[in-house]
Amino acid sequence: MAHPSRSFAAASCLVGLFVMGTLVPTHASAAEIIKLGLSVPLSGAAANWGKGGEWLCKQAAQEIAKSGGVKVDGKVYDFECIAYDNKYNAADGTKVAQTLLTRDNVKFIGGSLGTAPVRALQSLSERDGVLLFTTAWGKAIKGPKFPLTFTQMNTVYEISKPLVGYVKQANPGIKTVALLNPNDATGQDVESASRASWEALGVKVVSSDWYERGTTEFQPIAAKIAALKTDAVDLGAAPPPDAGFVFKELKALGWNGVKVVEVGSGAEGILATGHEAAEGVYMGAAMTFDSPATTAKQKALNDGGKAATGESLNAIQIGFYDSVYALKAAMEKAQSIDPKRVAAALPTVTFESFYGKSAFGGAASYGSAQQILVPVLVTQLKDGKLAELQRIAPEELKSR
Amino acid sequence: MQTVFQILLTALQIGAIYVLFSLGLTLIFGVMRVVNFAHGQFFTLAALLVAVVDPWLAAQGWSGPFAYFGAVVAGIAAALALGAIVYRFGFRYFQRDLTGSFILSVGLVLLCEGVFLDVFGGSVRVVPPVVRGDVAILGANIAAQRLVLGGVAVASTVLLYWVLAATRFGKAMRAVSIDHEAAMLQGIPCERIAFQGFLIATTLGAVAGALIAPISAVTPVLGADYLVKGFIAVIIGGLGSVPGAIVGSLFIALIESVGGFVFDPSIANMAIFVLVMIVLMVKPNGLLGRG
Repeated sequence: MAHPSRSFAAASCLVGLFVMGTLVPTHASAAEIIKLGLSVPLSGAAANWGKGGEWLCKQAAQEIAKSGGVKVDGKVYDFECIAYDNKYNAADGTKVAQTLLTRDNVKFIGGSLGTAPVRALQSLSERDGVLLFTTAWGKAIKGPKFPLTFTQMNTVYEISKPLVGYVKQANPGIKTVALLNPNDATGQDVESASRASWEALGVKVVSSDWYERGTTEFQPIAAKIAALKTDAVDLGAAPPPDAGFVFKELKALGWNGVKVVEVGSGAEGILATGHEAAEGVYMGAAMTFDSPATTAKQKALNDGGKAATGESLNAIQIGFYDSVYALKAAMEKAQSIDPKRVAAALPTVTFESFYGKSAFGGAASYGSAQQILVPVLVTQLKDGKLAELQRIAPEELKSR
Repeated sequence: MQTVFQILLTALQIGAIYVLFSLGLTLIFGVMRVVNFAHGQFFTLAALLVAVVDPWLAAQGWSGPFAYFGAVVAGIAAALALGAIVYRFGFRYFQRDLTGSFILSVGLVLLCEGVFLDVFGGSVRVVPPVVRGDVAILGANIAAQRLVLGGVAVASTVLLYWVLAATRFGKAMRAVSIDHEAAMLQGIPCERIAFQGFLIATTLGAVAGALIAPISAVTPVLGADYLVKGFIAVIIGGLGSVPGAIVGSLFIALIESVGGFVFDPSIANMAIFVLVMIVLMVKPNGLLGRG
């Protein structure tokens, strides 16, 4: 026969649990989670881009959650950003792709950085029906053959012409230019676009050289470029720390021409390594946050991003914010979280991006509307600070 | 002519770091007959500590050179501590075991890289140069900081040479590297010599890392590129040969400088690998290696 006190204790527990079950509100209406995978460099010269992108993805996800989440088919969804380090190379990009798609079962890639790792990811994402956002600059990365791939920032095909055009106009004496790019898929894409932009303006490309990512010694190549005595040097896809080192070596060797970095994304990174040699650099992917046009929200996000990463936000990272809002708009328009239906809805929606109203377009250039429509900003480092020289809004966006 | 001299000057100052790095590698092989792929981690740890401690000391009010010197001491001390641990619990048991030491050192590389990434983060860290400005030498320009780096590398190499050639300890180390059994029979404490040799090698790697920090992008994977080039230099010069390590390092630096100038850094890197293959086919023990 059971001891009376033990029976009483067991009964009390059962009653207590019953009471808790009825009195404590259940979360029947709690938001479900949609995972957004991120394939980004979190180490090496491009680590700041990846870390900033991850931070912005999480900010956008939090903002959307606070404003009520994504409402689809009577349910509410929140986003969760999961980032892995692709180390800006195909081998690690493949590992990240397998982890995100196979282990984590992610259906949406909120952002991916680096053409080589993105190609590895895309070979799986298109096959598995996963929607992919990318900052990769290759023209061949999107198009009708890749219906689930969308570019979340301006690429070199949007940036190069206005940037190089502005530089040539401001420095009409430029007759020769030397190009230097990282020796990978990103560098190859940038080189072909920037070469075309310079040659279209009658500037002779005297040399086009390559270096391996991870290079720490730039003196030999700087010696070569300095010996050529070109009017300008375009460092294309070189991340800011690499670009700073190259300009520093060029300055030490006595070269003092016009400096351009197409993927130049901010002052801090290039100043940290280039110091005074970085003065006057023209950049195509940077953004200023102290101009009259800066909104309070942009400033607040930049302050947060700077605290988190140590540098101001840039166009590459901002793409990771915009893609989250684009997804929300497309999911709510399609009233579905099926990647293929969301992808079909994306070209038809407008959404509030970091820059203001935005959409996807570019069918005339790429064969299908998979390019985000955001302004191109031409900036320059003056007296250690970034100054916006020109802002070009996409024509296609004006009609949306 | 000025261009040629610029290329040579570039080669010398690039080679200075490779010499320091590869001396450590060749010393470990000479004394312990192990190939230590984790040598790059001592180099990286020292550079990372310098990148972290230097700005911290500067914020405490230390002036530039003193902050850097303090950071260098911290970096070398940390690398020595890591080296002592790695030897005591690892390499000590794999002396004269190439396969075992290879597996151990590769594992250490993965472990250290992961720990460094976690502790220091993956972003590039920059150390302000201790000596600013450029120096012109016979029409060729070199950053003053690089000149200092070269000077310290030369002084360290000369010191190591003197220790090996003229001190009792150096003679004992050479005896162990030539024939450790005969050295034991002579009463030389091989175990202690191996440990001390390992620490000297670690110090050389750490000094190289501390010197490269102000002129390089310091990341947790900084040592990887130098490890590959350091090994190539040692293989070209001859495993276990100190003069060989110096010759190999300067040779690599010359290829890098000339190749980078005439072609580009990518082709220069390829040329280095092609050359090491040629050397191994012609002289499998390296240019100055023993049989």
